[in-house]
Amino acid sequence: MSPPPGALVSIVDDEPSVRKSLARLVKAAGYEVEAFASAHEFLARLQPEDPCCLLLDVQMPGLTGLELQEALAAAGHRVSIVFISGHGNIAGSVKAMKGGAVDFLTKPVTDRELLGAVERAVTKALQMRQDQARAREIHSRIKSLTPREAQVFALVVTGRLNKQIAFDLGIGEKTVKAHRGRVMAKMRAGSVAELVRLADQGGVIAAKS
Amino acid sequence: MTAGFSWFSKTMWIASTLRRKLVDQPLEDQLRFETFLSEQTAAFSRVLAADVDREIKQSLRRIVDFLKVDWGSLAEFSPDSQTAQITHAWVAEGAAPAPSAVRLAGLPWVVARLREGEVVRFSRVEELPEEKAALDRRTYLGLGIKSQVDVPLKVAGRVVGALAFSTLRAERAWQDELVQRLQLLGEVFANVLSRGRTELEMQRLRQELSHVARVSTVGELTTSLAHELNQPLTAILSNAQAAQRLLAAMPADLEEVQEILKDIVEDDKRASEVIHRLRGLLKPGEVEFRALDVNEMVSEVARLVSGDAVMRKVSIRLELVPGLPPVRGDRVQLQQVVLNLVLNALDAIQESGTRDRTLLLRTTLESSAAIRVAVRDSGVGIGGVEPDQIFRAFYTTKPEGLGMGLAIARSIVESHAGRLEARNNSDGGATFSFTLPISDEEP
Repeated sequence: MSPPPGALVSIVDDEPSVRKSLARLVKAAGYEVEAFASAHEFLARLQPEDPCCLLLDVQMPGLTGLELQEALAAAGHRVSIVFISGHGNIAGSVKAMKGGAVDFLTKPVTDRELLGAVERAVTKALQMRQDQARAREIHSRIKSLTPREAQVFALVVTGRLNKQIAFDLGIGEKTVKAHRGRVMAKMRAGSVAELVRLADQGGVIAAKS
Repeated sequence: MTAGFSWFSKTMWIASTLRRKLVDQPLEDQLRFETFLSEQTAAFSRVLAADVDREIKQSLRRIVDFLKVDWGSLAEFSPDSQTAQITHAWVAEGAAPAPSAVRLAGLPWVVARLREGEVVRFSRVEELPEEKAALDRRTYLGLGIKSQVDVPLKVAGRVVGALAFSTLRAERAWQDELVQRLQLLGEVFANVLSRGRTELEMQRLRQELSHVARVSTVGELTTSLAHELNQPLTAILSNAQAAQRLLAAMPADLEEVQEILKDIVEDDKRASEVIHRLRGLLKPGEVEFRALDVNEMVSEVARLVSGDAVMRKVSIRLELVPGLPPVRGDRVQLQQVVLNLVLNALDAIQESGTRDRTLLLRTTLESSAAIRVAVRDSGVGIGGVEPDQIFRAFYTTKPEGLGMGLAIARSIVESHAGRLEARNNSDGGATFSFTLPISDEEP
């Protein structure tokens, strides 16, 4: 599979020759590559648009790979990370995987292992990006709802009937129907099932009855 | 010259002077010789065991040059009293080479005199007793010796050999003053030789012990070394596979492939260097004193432990004064000292859990005669004991420690005529440092 056009892979490794060789290999496979000598250097040049994949050395002077993973998560960056370690370290790899790493490879690493992991990371990142874009879109639709419509929306997706919603909100059933029609239109949903899926994708927690 | 001195006697005097050559050294020369001898004595009191042979030979050379004789040699009687082994010799330019050994049976009269502690001298072989020394005369004639002085060498009251100066191309007189001075020199040589032997034996023991210590030190470094080998291996593999991809592409980027091949060669060299350094440390080699660059030696150790330092999250800083003069020493032994101090420092930092995790390796010019190497850490420091106590054998604060590291380090430094010291820093941690005398040779 050829990589998606413009997919950016960042490499952080303090060892110049390793950094250079990994960059060459990833570049030869068709990715855009940028390389950094330290975690700090990477953080300093972090763009609003995160890289698709971060190839990260575990042992580095200064901030280690695992610490960078924590720092990125704390700052709200969602980067798919592939760790490369000098030696197999169970505690380290468990921590990395728990922190959401795509893979934990041990040096020396073959092109198949490396590019396989990079591909998975990129796929995951692109998927994540799509999901995020979708969630943002759904959020903007939700924002266009009036407070009353939002209440009706939240109750509809929990499976409440119009009659029950009318009772819950202390309004007439006809009024509920009218609100519901506007919710369907604004949310661009063709059916209740679709509305439920939108709520799910948009991360709306269904209100308790 | 007095007025009454006849032309005839004057001529005879000149003739006999020429025949005998240099009967009287001018006073100035004698003074120079005196100065030279006292310098030698002083020099030998400082000389390192490993340098004794070289120094003795140098000394023989200077005397041969000064006295304008042909051979200067130091002979040692073999334990079975069969031969005199020439252990050190200097041959003047143009003179025949000196033998490596002489059979004692060929010199019965001379050896008997020497064993009695007497000096034997003759300005012509014919001066030796005609009958009693008939064999000796023949031996000297066979060796081509025209004149010689033999000074017995006494070690612990026993004559173990002789210091001899010989002429092959002219006869020569040996005046009393000269012989007395040579006797003094003989005492100095005998002293140095006996001290040298004890020291060499000590050195051998120290060498064995330090080899053991080195092997265990390397054991501690295994993880770090594996890491260091892994880096170039990783780079080589990725580079090679990148090259394969580049060559499969159309058109192939041959320029980049060239660059890659260059890097592969470099990384391969790096990997072999790691192995080379490791071998150097593990090899139970002979002690080799030679001029060496301290900065290079220290940097090599820093490279050796870099992996270990990264894993322990300690940053190693080097502050090396550029252009330091060379020191004289054994590279492997001195590296062992630095390695030991650095590993101790890493342990101390680890133990302290301090936030400032730095280790400073520093070289400085201590004086016009010495260089100082210092290992400064931000660790726990030396607590509760006299700093000197930590250098004692079997003193340890580590559960698996043997307590030999610092004791060996100090004995190595002292065998290099240096001093190893420890002190606590005012702002925490400890500094271990040692001096090494500057060498006048080029590395």
